[in-house]
Amino acid sequence: MSGTGPRENIFPTRMALTNTKLRLKGAQTGHSLLAKKRDALTTRFRAILRRVDEAKRKMGRVMQLASFSLAEVTYATGDISYLVQEQAKSASFKVKARQENVSGVVLPAFEVDRVPGSDFNLTGLGRGGQQVLKAKEVYAKAVETLVELASLQTAFMILDEVIRATNRRVNAIEHVVIPRLENTIKYITSELDEMDREEFFRLKKVQGKKKRDAEASEALRKALGAQEEEASAAPDVAGGGGDLLGSKDEDVIF
Amino acid sequence: MEALLFNVSGGFLEGIVRGYKAGLLTQNQYNNLTQCETIEDLRTQLSATDYGNFLANEPMPISTSTISEKATQVLVDQFNFLRSNAVEPLSKFLEYMTYAYMIDNIVLVITGTLHGRNVDELLQRCHPLGMFDTLGTLGAATNGEELYHFVLRDTPLASYFRDSVSAADLDDLNIEIIRNTLYKAYLEDFDAFCETLGAPTADIMHNILSFEADRRAINITINSFGTQLSKEQRAKLFPTIGRLFPEGNNALARADDIEQVRQACEAISEYRTFFEASTGAPRANGNGAGESSANLLGDLSDELGAAADLEDRFFVHEVHLNKLAFLQQFQYAVFFSYIKLKEQEIRSLTWIAECIAQNARDRIHDFIPTF
Amino acid sequence: MATQQDRNLLAVIGDEDSVTGLLLAGIGNVGQDQKKNFLVVDSKTQIPVIEQAFEEFTTRKDIAILLINQHIAEKIRPMVDKYQAAFPALLEIPSKDHPYDPSKDSILKRVQKLFGE
Repeated sequence: MSGTGPRENIFPTRMALTNTKLRLKGAQTGHSLLAKKRDALTTRFRAILRRVDEAKRKMGRVMQLASFSLAEVTYATGDISYLVQEQAKSASFKVKARQENVSGVVLPAFEVDRVPGSDFNLTGLGRGGQQVLKAKEVYAKAVETLVELASLQTAFMILDEVIRATNRRVNAIEHVVIPRLENTIKYITSELDEMDREEFFRLKKVQGKKKRDAEASEALRKALGAQEEEASAAPDVAGGGGDLLGSKDEDVIF
Repeated sequence: MEALLFNVSGGFLEGIVRGYKAGLLTQNQYNNLTQCETIEDLRTQLSATDYGNFLANEPMPISTSTISEKATQVLVDQFNFLRSNAVEPLSKFLEYMTYAYMIDNIVLVITGTLHGRNVDELLQRCHPLGMFDTLGTLGAATNGEELYHFVLRDTPLASYFRDSVSAADLDDLNIEIIRNTLYKAYLEDFDAFCETLGAPTADIMHNILSFEADRRAINITINSFGTQLSKEQRAKLFPTIGRLFPEGNNALARADDIEQVRQACEAISEYRTFFEASTGAPRANGNGAGESSANLLGDLSDELGAAADLEDRFFVHEVHLNKLAFLQQFQYAVFFSYIKLKEQEIRSLTWIAECIAQNARDRIHDFIPTF
Repeated sequence: MATQQDRNLLAVIGDEDSVTGLLLAGIGNVGQDQKKNFLVVDSKTQIPVIEQAFEEFTTRKDIAILLINQHIAEKIRPMVDKYQAAFPALLEIPSKDHPYDPSKDSILKRVQKLFGE
């Protein structure tokens, strides 16, 4: 019955029923659209997931290689870390955010933006400069890998968030909005049915009453008619005197 | 003459230093070290050598920098022992040796001071061989001008500064140039000092120092390709005592690529071989690592690899020269050579430790053995 | 979206070697007020210092990616795990002495959870 689930608090009219039905239709379309979006995002998400996993592992190897090249520098030049730290001035290795659109979700992707900087290019001038140069290159490559990974990861985080939100909405529509609308429709239909039945019963009742009244009035009419007939027949017999058989004559001896 | 009176003052220490030299790791010990699976193994292996228990009190895990630090400490202790027992002219000679480290330390402190760093922090990072009393006071300076005058007045390197650097030069960009200018002045001065000691010290030291000078000249040339260091500036950094001087240096000053560097060194037969080999095929043992890294990182230019190779060859040659120094008695070059060899050994040791720690066993044999 | 486009720096919290290497690659940036985008952590560095740097780097508006050594992230793990924002992207990187352990990575943990379900 209409009382089993939550429903909207509206007056059960045919107008409301049509509206609600339209809304249900809308909700269903929305649901299937959102579900499609979710599927698209999830496909994307899975792909990214795999790549994040891969890239993280690759990063492990790349960073190892990079720190090894730094070991080569230390071997050739000695400890340069402090000089490098002090000489850092402005970044020559930057990133640019680029945007990518997946099913209406804006995913930022970082792009390496490298300007040829002059920092440290005299480091190790007298000794080990080539190793320093090599380490710079190796590290730059490693950082590129890191940047790639960072974009993947950001995409991962955002997609994760969006998928969650979409899921919530899909579920909300599926489990709250649609049942409620359906309940409302059921309620309205049943109310309308109820009213129909009441109407029908009422009509029946009215008809019955009418019939009865009609019978009664018929009977009355009949009764009246009979009386009238009687009344009109009597003077005829009495007053007419035309029916010789009908009237008795004392003079006639049989 | 030298031989007659040398032992009066230098005999004891020469004995000591030759004893130290006997303690350098042998090929056999290197082999054992490269077999180690972990740093812990390495420590056990090292405790059987002259290093003894130098890592015994270190908590696990031992980092490679700790190993290098502790090994350097061993070297410093030995050096200080030598120094405290030395008399003129050996003490002066040893002092000259420390100047090289002082240059590095001063450059470090200058860099730090220009950025307003805490001096104590800086001092901890200085090389212990290059410490001197007034180093700490450098931190008191707040700007380049002040610093320059402090440096000029108070440090043992004052004369080098006076001759080559002006106050206006003290900023970040020039710091490497300053370092190399100082080093050039130092090499020349050291060579001149050795000359006063007479043969055989002067001969041997001259060999070693002129190689060092040439090495720096070649390195500076190669490393300055593609930087904003002008050719005139570059030429000023070349030490004037090398075997390449003067024609080779002039050629280097004009060089634009590695080929021209090679041509400049053509005249010296020993140097020719460095380039010949390094332009050839990469070494067999470096190959495996090269391939895997090329896959991961894309290929870095060949020239880079060749030049890095060159550096290794320089090291090998330096070790060779230093070893030769031990063939002659009654001279001071052994002290210099011993310290250099020990340094090389520490580098090799660090390298091995690094390879073990980072699991790069295919490169573990790329160190340069001393004996 | 404009705020994202302003983010163009990388920041790093790491041990000496990692920081040196990354600075060599050219990510180092020192602002006018000597504000650096890197922090060197050694055995003497106090945890609050790391936390403060982490806080600073994650709230700065010009940093797009924050790199942190995994073993340092371990020290401030609760804070790292709590950090969920997309910007700046937080990346745990291995260091020389501490090889990469995927099982500790806060992102990879989530990845694996999602794969596992």
